[in-house]
Amino acid sequence: MSNDHDHGPTHTHDGKLIQEDELPSIEAQILETSVRELLIEKGVVSGEDIRRAIEAMDSRGESLGAKIVVRAWTDPKYKDRLLNNSDDAVREFGINMSPMELCVVENTDEVHNMVVCTLCSCYPRPILGIPPAWYKRRDYRARAVREPRAVLQEFGTDLPDGKQVRVHDSNADLRYLVLPKRPEGTEDWTVEQLEALVTRDSMIGVSDVRLPSEADA
Amino acid sequence: MRGPQDYGGLPAGPINPVKHEHVPTHWEKTVDALMMLIFDQRRQLARVDESRRMQEAFGEDYHKYPYYERWLQAVSWLMLEKSVFTQEELDAKQVEVRARLEAERDEK
Repeated sequence: MSNDHDHGPTHTHDGKLIQEDELPSIEAQILETSVRELLIEKGVVSGEDIRRAIEAMDSRGESLGAKIVVRAWTDPKYKDRLLNNSDDAVREFGINMSPMELCVVENTDEVHNMVVCTLCSCYPRPILGIPPAWYKRRDYRARAVREPRAVLQEFGTDLPDGKQVRVHDSNADLRYLVLPKRPEGTEDWTVEQLEALVTRDSMIGVSDVRLPSEADA
Repeated sequence: MRGPQDYGGLPAGPINPVKHEHVPTHWEKTVDALMMLIFDQRRQLARVDESRRMQEAFGEDYHKYPYYERWLQAVSWLMLEKSVFTQEELDAKQVEVRARLEAERDEK
């Protein structure tokens, strides 16, 4: 995370966009502009509200989730609270799940959890931001609940036969976050080192948290 | 009865997570922001299940629209349903915006 190339995937080294920010069809642009301008004229939202909402969403993601996970890894009391009263526990990180409810599920030696929303794209947005495209697509939504082990394999996650898989189907009111397993051999690691290990996919439960040497393998 | 959005357990293809790792565009983020703002605690103009009801109202057309275009349509229908603006206001606005955007496009 802290190397010279720590920039988003859409930029080249000279700072130019690799790809122009694409616009949708003109019809969609017309509808969006119309709805947005009407909402502003009616005083429902302001341009500033929209800018701030985009900024807030951009600030969510992997690194925010990683802070919660590492806190749970390093503080047993916090972990207990996170698993039993998730909404309250994440409030410490400035996250307000309301009006939704958060349920954090723990990966152990016996159980692997993964999260899907078969009906749409419900996701722990206040923590992880906008879901990845594959999470919203039919293939993941359809298959995660029928053949989770095969789906996990497509993410490079091979589970031993004896391990139980629990698939959590999110809905409008209830969102799930996976507490991944802390990799062995990280007992002496600092909080910053640990946070850098935690990936978005490990908190959706489609992969485990791996040590850099394992990830390269 | 299974709705068009109800995919759980149906046969489907490979996930292809690397291919389908799309970074949201600014336009998509704007639509996202509009939805989040009408949901938020200050406004409470709609709830998530209402947005889903609107998207499911697409019926078989559900699959024809990109994700954020479905969201946009849901925001628009919800605001009409809740009389935040009227169909007449939306129609008039769209005529005006169309002229403006098409003129901008033709200048390029």
